[in-house]
Formats: sequence, C-alpha cells, structure tokens
Amino acid sequence: MSHLRDKYCIVGVGETEYSRGSNRSTRAMAVEAVRKAILDAGLTAADVDGMMDYQSGDSTLAPHVAPDLGIRLNFYMDVVGGGSSTEALVGLAMGAIEAGMCRTVAIYRSMNGYSEFRIGGTGARAAQPVRGLDLAQVPFGMRSAGQNFALTFMRHMYDYGTTSEQVAHVKVAHSKHASQNPKALLKERVTVQDVVGSRWIVKPLHLLDCCLETDNATCIIVTSAERARNCRQRPVYIMGVAGRVSKPRLDFHWAHGPISRVAGYYAKDIVFGQAGIGPDDVHVTGSYDAFTFTTMLQLEEYGFCKKGEGGAYVSSGVIELGGRRPNNTAGGHLCEGYTHGMSMVIENVRQLRGRVDDYCPGAAEGQHTYDYSVGRCRQVKDAEITMNLGWAMPPLGSALIMRR
Amino acid sequence: MPQPVSYRGMTLLVPDNDSEWAEYFAHARAHTLMMRACTACGLMRYPPTHACPWCMDLGWRWQEVSGRGTIHSYEIVAHAIQPGFKELTPYPVVLVELDEQRGRPTPDEALRIIANLVKDDLSPEAEARVAIGARVKVVFQDLADHFALPQFTLGGEPPVGRVWRLGG
Repeated sequence: MSHLRDKYCIVGVGETEYSRGSNRSTRAMAVEAVRKAILDAGLTAADVDGMMDYQSGDSTLAPHVAPDLGIRLNFYMDVVGGGSSTEALVGLAMGAIEAGMCRTVAIYRSMNGYSEFRIGGTGARAAQPVRGLDLAQVPFGMRSAGQNFALTFMRHMYDYGTTSEQVAHVKVAHSKHASQNPKALLKERVTVQDVVGSRWIVKPLHLLDCCLETDNATCIIVTSAERARNCRQRPVYIMGVAGRVSKPRLDFHWAHGPISRVAGYYAKDIVFGQAGIGPDDVHVTGSYDAFTFTTMLQLEEYGFCKKGEGGAYVSSGVIELGGRRPNNTAGGHLCEGYTHGMSMVIENVRQLRGRVDDYCPGAAEGQHTYDYSVGRCRQVKDAEITMNLGWAMPPLGSALIMRR
Repeated sequence: MPQPVSYRGMTLLVPDNDSEWAEYFAHARAHTLMMRACTACGLMRYPPTHACPWCMDLGWRWQEVSGRGTIHSYEIVAHAIQPGFKELTPYPVVLVELDEQRGRPTPDEALRIIANLVKDDLSPEAEARVAIGARVKVVFQDLADHFALPQFTLGGEPPVGRVWRLGG
C-alpha cells in the first residue's frame, strides 16, 4: 500500500462546451476550463500555484494560460502527450506538492481537436514529412490512431474469438449514458445493429466503433487532503495512480507479443497495489474509449474479467448504467466528446461526489432519481470507488483509483 | 544529404545522420531485406536501431533474411487518412512475422514488420485473399535510386497453423 494513499484529493473540475467548431483559441478555452475548476473547488486564483498541461503542439501552454487568470505559478510543466497523460499528471501533481514545490495544481487539456488540429491525423498532421520511426508504418498508409490499433484488435479476434457484435455493446452502453448527459455531443441511443451496420473505417473498426473528434478544454485541480477539507466540494481521495506504464519495445511494440496484450498488464499491480484493493471493489470504471475495442481490452487486462473474455464482459450488461459496474457514465469519447481522457476522470469525480450533472431536477443538490430511462438520471447509487483506465496506444497506459 | 523521396503525396525524409534507416532502405533498393544483428548476442532487431534491445551492446552488422514469413495480423483500410492513399482503398496493411528468429529470445517475440500486402504489380491484394496465417514473401517497391519500400506478396506456400480472416 502506498504511503500517499488518501493524502491527495481532486477538489475541482471544469470543462468548456464540447463542440465541433469552437471558434475560439485553445487559450480562451483553457482559461474558461481552469476558471470553472477553480470556482468549482471554491478556491481563488491566489490558491492555485501549480499548473500542468499536455499537448502535441496543438494547444496553448501554461505560461500563457495562468497569467490570464492572475495566477502566479510556483511550478508548471507542459507535457508532450495524449491519452495516457491524465492520470500520469495527477500523479506528478501529487509528487510536486509532496516535494514542496507548490501547494495546489491545475491540470488542463485544451484542443480544437476537430476544427484545427484533427486528432484523426488528417489535415495539417497528414502533410508533415515522414521520418524516423514513422518510416516503419506511415509509408504503408498506416497513420491514424484507428490504423495504428487495428492490428491489435484483429489479433484479439483471432486469439480469443472476440466479435464485432460483442464490442459494439461498448458503444451501445456509452450512448445510453450520453442520453442522460446534457453536455454530450451525441445523445442518441444506438443499437448493436447500428454499430456493425455503420460503414467501415479500417477493419475491424466501423465508424461507430470510433470516438468523436471534438473541440474542448477540461481541467482537474489536485491538492492535499488537508487543504481539500476546506474546499467547497466533498473531497475525492486519490487511492492509487499509475502513469505511462509501457509494454517492452515501446518504439515498435509489435515486436514483443502477444500483441493482443496491452499495457494494463504491467500497470495493474502498481495501481491496485497502492490502493490496497482489487477489481471487485470498484463500483464505476472509466476505461478509455478511443475505440470500442480499447475499453474492452483494458477492462480485461486490469482483471475485471479474465484475459480474453472482454468481449463477453462488455456485452453482458455489466458496463451499463444499472449494471454491476458501469463504464464511462457520461458517454465517454465515443458519445460525449473526445478529451484525451480528462472527461472520464471528471465524470468519476462527480460520481463520487454524488453530483453528476444529469437531467434530474435536483441534480445540483445531489437529488437523483436513479431512473436510467432516456433523458433522466446517470448517477450511480452510492458510488464509493472508481477507477480510470487511461490509454494512449496498445503498449502505453495509465490508471487512477479514487474514493469518496 | 540524399534527396527526400516523394511517394503518394508524402515526403519521406532520411537525413544523413539517420544511418540506420538510410542503409536499411538502400539495401532494400538493392532488393535485399536486411536486419541489424547484434555482434555480441547475435539477435536481430527491427526497426534498425542503434543498440541491442536485449543486451544493450552497440556493436552491429547487417544480416540478410529470407523475406519469407507469415501474416501475424492485418487490417483493411476502407477510409484512407492520407490523401494519396484514397485511390487505393480498400487496401491491406499486414504485420508479417519473419521466419527467422520466431519465438526468440522469449516465446512471444519475433521479427515483425509492417507493410502492404500487394499483387505482383504492387497494387493492393484483394481483401478475400488476406488472412492471418497466410504465407508471404518480400518484394521491393523502388521509389528512388537510393530508396525502396519492402512490401509483401502471397508466397504460394501452404499456410502455417490456423488460417483466419474477419468475416471469413
């Protein structure tokens, strides 16, 4: 068990609108998200003295965001990276505070992932020269995330008999959750047939197996448990964290099989070991859904079911609201909008507070109906422990366990 | 510095200081598939890198491989991201496990390489003929005097182990 378990908290969360055309700079969006998170925590600009963000040359960095809000920093770090960053930065924020470098850290991600630098790799990204390690795959028409991951998904189907229909249930579940979320880009519930009947993008991925490129900014505020007790919201305690854990040969992970194994295989003992719990103790998961398959692969690798049985697990009803362990209750990247992982941590923070922003009339006061029919509630009753499974690529992942 | 190679709207850049790739693609232009092999432990590696990932030794030599292998996984790109590939859709991308060094140094490791599965005229192979377990052999797609891409064709040999394709 970690000596830092329960000593740090997430005290504030915030996000902009999820859109496909923000007409705003990443600076403007970041400022809005950070400001909302500070207000959510009941803090002031003077209370925040640390800032971290992640990006890939597609965003505005902390030195240009903090001053807009009058924040003077004792620590900041701009990190290159995508989906595996969220949980990793939470852990780094704890470390920075523990080291005495600062007291309270705002972590943000701001991107015009649809209207400016498209996450899928089209537009400006596709025009860049191909060099270095990219020469091993990009000249063969393998450039986007879906194209990068499809070999892993296909091999999983071969190794374990996983079917398109099974993983389609991830989209079905997340669409059900998004229908309870006023912020979600796609609120329409879909069926398995809708998913497997949608057009192919890169086999074995259909259009509806893929997430939504989105414009947005998101923010999470981390501070010590001691300070958290004076914040506005019920503290959410960090039990364990694993950051950017990789498979061998991160440069070319296909060299080191089985290729249907993902990084959670290596991360699970770190994060569960710190938290002192196991998968059965987790009430809500946030398994990164860049694609339907990524949610399934991580859930099985972290031990929520046996390796190879992820298809059966995600199609059993367990991951839906009303099921034993709902996943991505805001709709995730497949339906709510793509945030490089931040929104899934934000959602779990709200679940643990009992303050999910659904359509329940008393949601703001924590009054929920637990009626999961369309356009109603998405609060999980008495959610005590959540776990986020962050993904960047098959060989790279992060994880975060929180409790109320 | 060698001229950048233009291919399907992409600029493929191999600077002079990237000797690993420059020599690899130059060998491919001579129609030989070469792996970097460690002079200390003897294991080959791909992509060509500067140190041995198993023993960290810096000594290396080029070692030719047969270019024969088995499809370990594949995908069919229906929606191309790169504009120059749109006219090729649907095209297969294959992960080929080479015959040399299979299951070494640990059971799940192998020399695996990404390429397109192509017909003899280098156009994309038909989807119905792509399968995990199918045997393949290397061919070379010449793009410049100093540069060729290793690609793979169906080898005409009987498959190894279970043959499987999506929806098949």
